[in-house]
Amino acid sequence: MLDLFGILGGGNGPAMDEHAGPGVFFNNNNSSSSSSPLLQAGGRGAAADSDGGEAGRAQYSIPGILHFLQHEWARFEVERAQWEVERAELQAQVAFLHGERKGQENLKKDLVRRIKMLEYALKQERAKYHKLKYGTELNLGEMKAPSFDSEEANEKETSGSLNNQLSWKQGRQLLRQYLQEVGYTDTILDVKSQRVKALLGLAGDGTGDRSGQEPLLNGTDTAPKGLSDSSSVLEAFFIESAAAEFSDEDDEEDSEGKEKTIVDSRTVSDDPDAEEALKDFDFLSNTEDMDTSPESRSAGDGTDWEKDRQAWDVDQGLITKLKEQYRKERKGKKGVKIEAITFPPSSGKAFIIGTEEAMETGELGLGELAGLTVANEADNLAYDISNNKDALRKTWNPKFTLRSHFDGIRGLAFHPVEPVLITASEDHTLKMWNLQKTTPAKKNASLDVEPIYTFRAHRGAVLCVVMSNTGEQCYSGGLDGTIQCWNTPSPNIDPYDSYQPSVLRGALCGHTDAVWGLVHSSAHQRLLSCSADGTVRLWNASNPQAALAVFNENKDLGLPSSVDLVCSDPAYMVTSFNNGRIGLFNMETRQQVLNMESTVESGNINKVLSHPTLPITITAQEDRHIKFYDNNTGKLIHSMVAHLDAVTSLAVDPNGLYLMSGSHDCSIRLWNLENKTCIQEFTAHRKKFDESIHDVAFHPSKCYIASAGADSLAKVFV
Amino acid sequence: MVMAEGATVVRRNRPGTTAKYIQQNIRSDCSNIEKIMEPPEGQDEGVWKYEHLRQFCLELNGLAVKLQTECHPDTCTQMTATEQWIFLCAAHKTPKECPAIDYTRHTLDGAACLLNSNKYFPSRVSIKESSVAKLGSVCRRIYRIFSHAYFHHRQIFDTYENETFLCHRFTRFVMKYNLMSKDNLIVPILEEEEEEEEEGGQNPSTGESEA
Repeated sequence: MLDLFGILGGGNGPAMDEHAGPGVFFNNNNSSSSSSPLLQAGGRGAAADSDGGEAGRAQYSIPGILHFLQHEWARFEVERAQWEVERAELQAQVAFLHGERKGQENLKKDLVRRIKMLEYALKQERAKYHKLKYGTELNLGEMKAPSFDSEEANEKETSGSLNNQLSWKQGRQLLRQYLQEVGYTDTILDVKSQRVKALLGLAGDGTGDRSGQEPLLNGTDTAPKGLSDSSSVLEAFFIESAAAEFSDEDDEEDSEGKEKTIVDSRTVSDDPDAEEALKDFDFLSNTEDMDTSPESRSAGDGTDWEKDRQAWDVDQGLITKLKEQYRKERKGKKGVKIEAITFPPSSGKAFIIGTEEAMETGELGLGELAGLTVANEADNLAYDISNNKDALRKTWNPKFTLRSHFDGIRGLAFHPVEPVLITASEDHTLKMWNLQKTTPAKKNASLDVEPIYTFRAHRGAVLCVVMSNTGEQCYSGGLDGTIQCWNTPSPNIDPYDSYQPSVLRGALCGHTDAVWGLVHSSAHQRLLSCSADGTVRLWNASNPQAALAVFNENKDLGLPSSVDLVCSDPAYMVTSFNNGRIGLFNMETRQQVLNMESTVESGNINKVLSHPTLPITITAQEDRHIKFYDNNTGKLIHSMVAHLDAVTSLAVDPNGLYLMSGSHDCSIRLWNLENKTCIQEFTAHRKKFDESIHDVAFHPSKCYIASAGADSLAKVFV
Repeated sequence: MVMAEGATVVRRNRPGTTAKYIQQNIRSDCSNIEKIMEPPEGQDEGVWKYEHLRQFCLELNGLAVKLQTECHPDTCTQMTATEQWIFLCAAHKTPKECPAIDYTRHTLDGAACLLNSNKYFPSRVSIKESSVAKLGSVCRRIYRIFSHAYFHHRQIFDTYENETFLCHRFTRFVMKYNLMSKDNLIVPILEEEEEEEEEGGQNPSTGESEA
């Protein structure tokens, strides 16, 4: 360009004011034209120097001008093209960001949906537990189903598979819900959660802003919509963390770290949305200061904040502690128990009511109230965690189906150590099964097992079977009134081996009618049997002979339906009668010691069981109840409606923590003995003419439970 | 009893109904074979046969229990009835010459496995066509228990038969549904019945003619 100007400016040619001569283009000689082109370029005829003036008077040749214009235009064109390109790029970027934003919004929507569904599912579960526990419907405030009903089924399935992650979210949901029930509004929740973040050092933004840089402005402007925003903001926060948790499948340790990074990045980013959101948070806390919250906190913020902080510290500490435990559980350390944190044995519901009352009185400061709810939350949270942990740790699933009997199975006994089960059936036989020898089943999910030995000696239905504590002997009682003693064959025998007459040791005769219950005492090598002839007999197990002792020969207590040894005191035994009575007997003195506080109207008692460690007797009643009695006083400790039909059988796990009950309503229920709540229910066995499950049993050392059905099947769950 | 039977017939479709029906009939009068054999209306024949066979296996346990006391491997080293045939136990990979008591037990156990197996009899409400043939082979093997008991442990057989009429019923059952060929029915049940009907008939032709 300058050259051109130089050429233009080189006014050797005739001084033309406005018209550039033809020769001007080719004039290169003018060295002084270097300064002039600027002037020339600046304007026509503006000349400061003599040179410039000379140059100014230099020709504006038309071609020169045209050329200049052309070049300028070319330059502009180039620049425009560049700008176009840039604009296109920027537009593409904008579109991309739009798309990304939409994606994020969709994600957020999905997560909110999921949360709502989980909430609903949780409410349903609570209602169900409550119904089971109290036999009445639980009246929760709002039980409306989420509007995404079609997806609910899927959600529930997936929630099962994502149990590990979602259970923690469920816990949080529950927290939130309880707080709402207590009366905390979202505003306080927001504030508290922000403070928690500040405490944990997650949000670098909160602390500074709380001093209220723009309190009044924002406050007055947006106070009305603050509360409504809070929920969305809260959701945003929650979803962020939920997304964080979702995104790492394996490492929960990192979830906190990720939360940190997300929040930090938000504070750092220039994202106007995030900043806006954070600003919302700020004025929320400020509105707290301005005392617009319905909780009517005192104006003395300082002390209250302190209290709250402390309360939250406790809470947070508790929560982290629980989190740690939960993580440990997940890693599979079985030894971790929640007993480290003691919880009141009463149900969490009572606590909620307690705190509501406190709220009404309004006397308690918020700190104390928070303290109460902390315990409440912790209780319920842990309760749910323990439930979830238990559920995680042991959800029983059907594994084996034992088919071989021709008629209903009446009794079950597990071998003390081996994975071996013996079933007693109405087809006059007992069969022994080795659970490790399964036949390859094509269709069913559960494996079929074939028996390895069949015990034949009874002349009628076999009603009950027990094994000795070593597993080397077993005893069976039948309709024919005999008790057969057997030497248990080895679990590894060939099913089609030669007959060994030595397997049958002998028969204990004495009863004149069907033997309904048998129990073996390892301590004294004794056998206890109860029969429809009204007597309970004590036998020497190692030496099949006549009975050592006979109780109730005159039937004045009724007909015994079930008998058990008191585990906490082997000299005693407890018997239930078909008229609803339960009696505690001292076997050495052969006297009845105690009559349990049971009513005659309760009907037949199908099974009586002594707790392995506590002095408690548990009974399964015909009137659908399960009742707990104290052995020392005979008082009824607890009674609950357990099933929809008669409860037929009971079993306690070897640790004494869980109770399993089977019933003619085709269901087996697992109960937590601590809070007497149902942990799991499964349906097993078809009903065969009003009868379904006759017996249930736990394996003493392995993780098996078995059920005996009237449909001639036995099922084993792992 | 009549009302109960009516009730059971109504609930026919449920599994185990037929078994209960048969058991009730047997309990009421075990000698009334006709009645026990007669299927209720609309009863599927396959299911009827299957359930009866299960009941037979169940009741044969009683005979096996009695045999256990008397039938020792030293005395009855093989499973025989008459002199002609030795029966090999099919419960093993290759048929084995089990002693009589082992044969009895293995046959009953094997029958239990087969009749309860999910592969051949997945449902108790309808029987697969392909599995009906299995019933015949089970019947044949079960029958040998009767024949061994008859020829070698006569007293036990008689006692048990008088209590349960099991062999009579079984023979009738097998003939009615053609589950076995008549040549195999060597226990002289029918002739004895004819004898009784003729009031101590003059022609005491026993079943020795049949091999």
